Amino acid sequence: MIDFTINGQEVQGQDGWTILEVARWHGIDIPTLCHHGALEPYGACRLCVVEVDDGRRSRVVISCMYPIRQGIKVQTETPRVANVRRWIVQLLLDESPAAPKIQELAKAFGVTTSRFKKEGVEFACHLCGLCIRACQEVVGVQALTFGNRGVLKEVTAPYHQRSKDCIRCGTCLYVCPTGAMEQLFLQVSSE
Amino acid sequence: MKTESKIGIFLCECGGKISNRISLPRVSDLLNYEAWTHLGIYPYPCLSPGLEAIKAKVQAKGLNRVLIGGCSGRVMKKKFAEALAPVGIAKHQVEMINLKDHVALVHEAPPQELARKAAALIAGGLASLELLEPYEPVSLSFEGPALILGGGVSGFAAARELARHGLESVVFSKALAPERVLEELHWTFPGCRIFCGDLGDFLREVFTSPLVKIVPDQPIEYIIGGVGDYHVGLKQPDNTVTEVNGAAIIVALDREFRPADIAYIGGGERVCDLLDLEEQLVAGDIKPGKVVFWVNSPEHGKAAQELAAVAAWRDSLLMVRENPQVKPIVLYPANITLPLSGADLVEARAHDIGLMSYAPEVHPVVQSGYLSFVSPADNLEHEVEWDTLVVPGAPGDPAAKAQELMRWLPIYPENGGRLQKSHIKFWPDQVPDESLFFTGSAGGLCDLNEVLQQGKKAARGVLHIREKALQGRLVSPVVVHVDKDLCQGCGLCTEICPCGGIEHVKPGSGPVPREVDNHLCSGGGTCAATCPYEAVKILNNTAQQLEARIKAMMARMQENEILGFVCGWGGLASAEQAAVKGVTYPSGIYLVPVNCLGSLDPFILSMAFLNGVKGIMLAGCTPKHSCHYHYGIDHCWYRVNAMKKLLSLAGLERRRISIGYVEVNEPESFARMVESHLESLEKLPPLSLDDKTKAKLWAIHATMHRPRVRWVLGTSLRRPAEKEFPGSQFNAVEADETMLEVLKEEFLAARILKALTDQPLNPPGIARAMDEPVKNITPLLTDMAQEGRITLKGWEGGYPIYALGKP
Repeated sequence: MIDFTINGQEVQGQDGWTILEVARWHGIDIPTLCHHGALEPYGACRLCVVEVDDGRRSRVVISCMYPIRQGIKVQTETPRVANVRRWIVQLLLDESPAAPKIQELAKAFGVTTSRFKKEGVEFACHLCGLCIRACQEVVGVQALTFGNRGVLKEVTAPYHQRSKDCIRCGTCLYVCPTGAMEQLFLQVSSE
Repeated sequence: MKTESKIGIFLCECGGKISNRISLPRVSDLLNYEAWTHLGIYPYPCLSPGLEAIKAKVQAKGLNRVLIGGCSGRVMKKKFAEALAPVGIAKHQVEMINLKDHVALVHEAPPQELARKAAALIAGGLASLELLEPYEPVSLSFEGPALILGGGVSGFAAARELARHGLESVVFSKALAPERVLEELHWTFPGCRIFCGDLGDFLREVFTSPLVKIVPDQPIEYIIGGVGDYHVGLKQPDNTVTEVNGAAIIVALDREFRPADIAYIGGGERVCDLLDLEEQLVAGDIKPGKVVFWVNSPEHGKAAQELAAVAAWRDSLLMVRENPQVKPIVLYPANITLPLSGADLVEARAHDIGLMSYAPEVHPVVQSGYLSFVSPADNLEHEVEWDTLVVPGAPGDPAAKAQELMRWLPIYPENGGRLQKSHIKFWPDQVPDESLFFTGSAGGLCDLNEVLQQGKKAARGVLHIREKALQGRLVSPVVVHVDKDLCQGCGLCTEICPCGGIEHVKPGSGPVPREVDNHLCSGGGTCAATCPYEAVKILNNTAQQLEARIKAMMARMQENEILGFVCGWGGLASAEQAAVKGVTYPSGIYLVPVNCLGSLDPFILSMAFLNGVKGIMLAGCTPKHSCHYHYGIDHCWYRVNAMKKLLSLAGLERRRISIGYVEVNEPESFARMVESHLESLEKLPPLSLDDKTKAKLWAIHATMHRPRVRWVLGTSLRRPAEKEFPGSQFNAVEADETMLEVLKEEFLAARILKALTDQPLNPPGIARAMDEPVKNITPLLTDMAQEGRITLKGWEGGYPIYALGKP
């Protein structure tokens, strides 16, 4: 058993568990976007950041992938953490102002759209990779993938062609946090 | 084998998403008197600490079934099954009730009210788990050669690959020597003569290999058996049947080309099609001069045109190499892409082979010695000179051999004569390894290279199966089970099975119980729901389990609430998508997910009404377009239709049951369906369960169990747009009336049986009990007595007295 504290509360966990898992088990809320119970953590959205003090220094880390260690002190609601999260939510909101999940987050952080607002985009894909990971890990096919790189990176079907591997199960739609998949589904799903 | 069930219920709070909307303590209160061993509320059962907690409970309390009330089973079940495998809980022992998407996020009712609904859904899951029967997968062996049927070229590629890996194969082929194969190649792959040199070596390797047996093609009398143990009966010229056994089957079927229609062009010997040209090439007869290959016939599709253009290009290359006096030009429509590489184009230029495109909107005109066409580059009409004009051959229908194979294997013709292995698309973990391999151009026009690749790939598939068998890992996942005592061998299941999972039996072997090739089985369950004698069972998903689930749910439902059956693809996905999108709908519908609506036994519908449900809604995929089980949804339509007919025969409203179609990404449509159905039922009173109505509902239920009715439902399948009707019926109304007649008669018979349950009666007595004129039932009474469904006990006052039971 590994003993450590979250927000001063003494908690226990097993080797290999992450801070996020232990926190949630103890009812401590940490916001996430790219995390899904069915999937391996991926660390794309950085919303789940927390401050970890390992006795030498204090760092902001993502809780969904940070394995718990003996004696660390985790703080989930420090000003540093709040600042990082607020900025992330700000940028998310500016890209997907109409997505309910993002709106919910924005409300919680008191964020409104800003100068970064993209015109004409309501449900942007944030490349969190949930759909791609769900397609591979849950469904077991590879009908979705990332295409291109850098600013052109996008979720697409392999070779930009409607995928023959797709079984039209709708898992990608189900896990998509912004609703961007709805537009994409028609382009990537098998006929 | 049944073990005592010890069920653990794990309710998920989902970080407030569920617990804020449904009062979970109330749910556990409501479930107090159900038969569970453990019940607990957990913050996140799906994360590591939660999984550890479940595992600990399973071990501490010896649980053998786990019910998780939380999230979507489609997405989460795999994780739970994998995590719980080490403590001995298999996938089928995990039941997931989706409280989040079916209750919490889609209804606006208060948490206490939703707790009642949640408890009802969980009680249903418990009842279903209670009836779960554990099963042991059967290990399969793999002994004997691979049988390569169909005679396609890809078969040789498969045989070579198998031989290289030391596996024997038997190839059934018309051509018994490599040279014969090459000579006939252009009938199936025009324009591939250029590969003949390599292919010759290839074929000689196959024909001389000690591991490959090439036998002359013979008519197939039957194909029976399953993976690891196939038997193919071959009809000999003297009408006897010899049997060849093998462990796997590869079907290699190529599509033959027929001569093109060139009569309208004329021109005598100067005009020919590609097939004729290739015959000349075989003979080594290459005339000098200008040869124009004109890729016409848009009616065969772009793919065929592309292939023809490439074939023309290859043949031109062959001709120029043989005889530099030949000046070929390939004239192809501009709307196809010529699949030629840069190197090919360089070669074309080096050999002075013209590649020209014409605007497809304006049909080129043939003149004597000239062909005029409009160039898409400048919109001007140009002319090319020809001494020989060549047009492509026409892709023909799949060979007669295909018809033979289609009778026995799950291969189906698609639009345009293309053959396809059942196109069922599932979650990969629902289907075992591919075990039947279909290769060749009959599955879709393609060129020789691709077909040879397909053959090689099929061989690798066979080798993979053998590998698994050698390691003892080739197991037949028992999906469907046929009860040998109940099966009458009518063969209806084989006829309607879309995946080929239910085995065929030898012709003329009479009514023998069917067996199941579970490697092909897709678990669609249409067979089980159709079987007239209810002998077919989908394991862990039986109609009895579903019946128990619905009864348990209905015990907790209110009289105005309805059942909603959703198929695992369109219906369920769109229902869950509603939760994701925040679409809400009234909470009066209780969703029951089934794999396919086609697996929904008709007696389930009647049973629900007998138990007093106010109405039923079914949501499945759009027929033909997206049903994942071919005809599953169409079968369901007939059952719903029969239910409607029976309801109206019983004097109840037909609209109490309705079926709808919805796609994965249409949650709004799903919500509209629910709202509309509930609205149409709103003005109807709940099903009054007085004795008379109950007797009629009992009769409906009994009717749905009647083999004759089930047989009619199973055989009457046709798709809405089809113009053919089964049996001797000629039109839609006639077909429908036949069904109605059968239902009427059986319904009346069932009502008579019901009237006789309490005491023996004479005809007027029966008629009184049924509220029918005596004359309506007397002929049927005589018939039933003759059939032995009721007995004539004696006579009294000039009337016969009938009673239940055999004489």
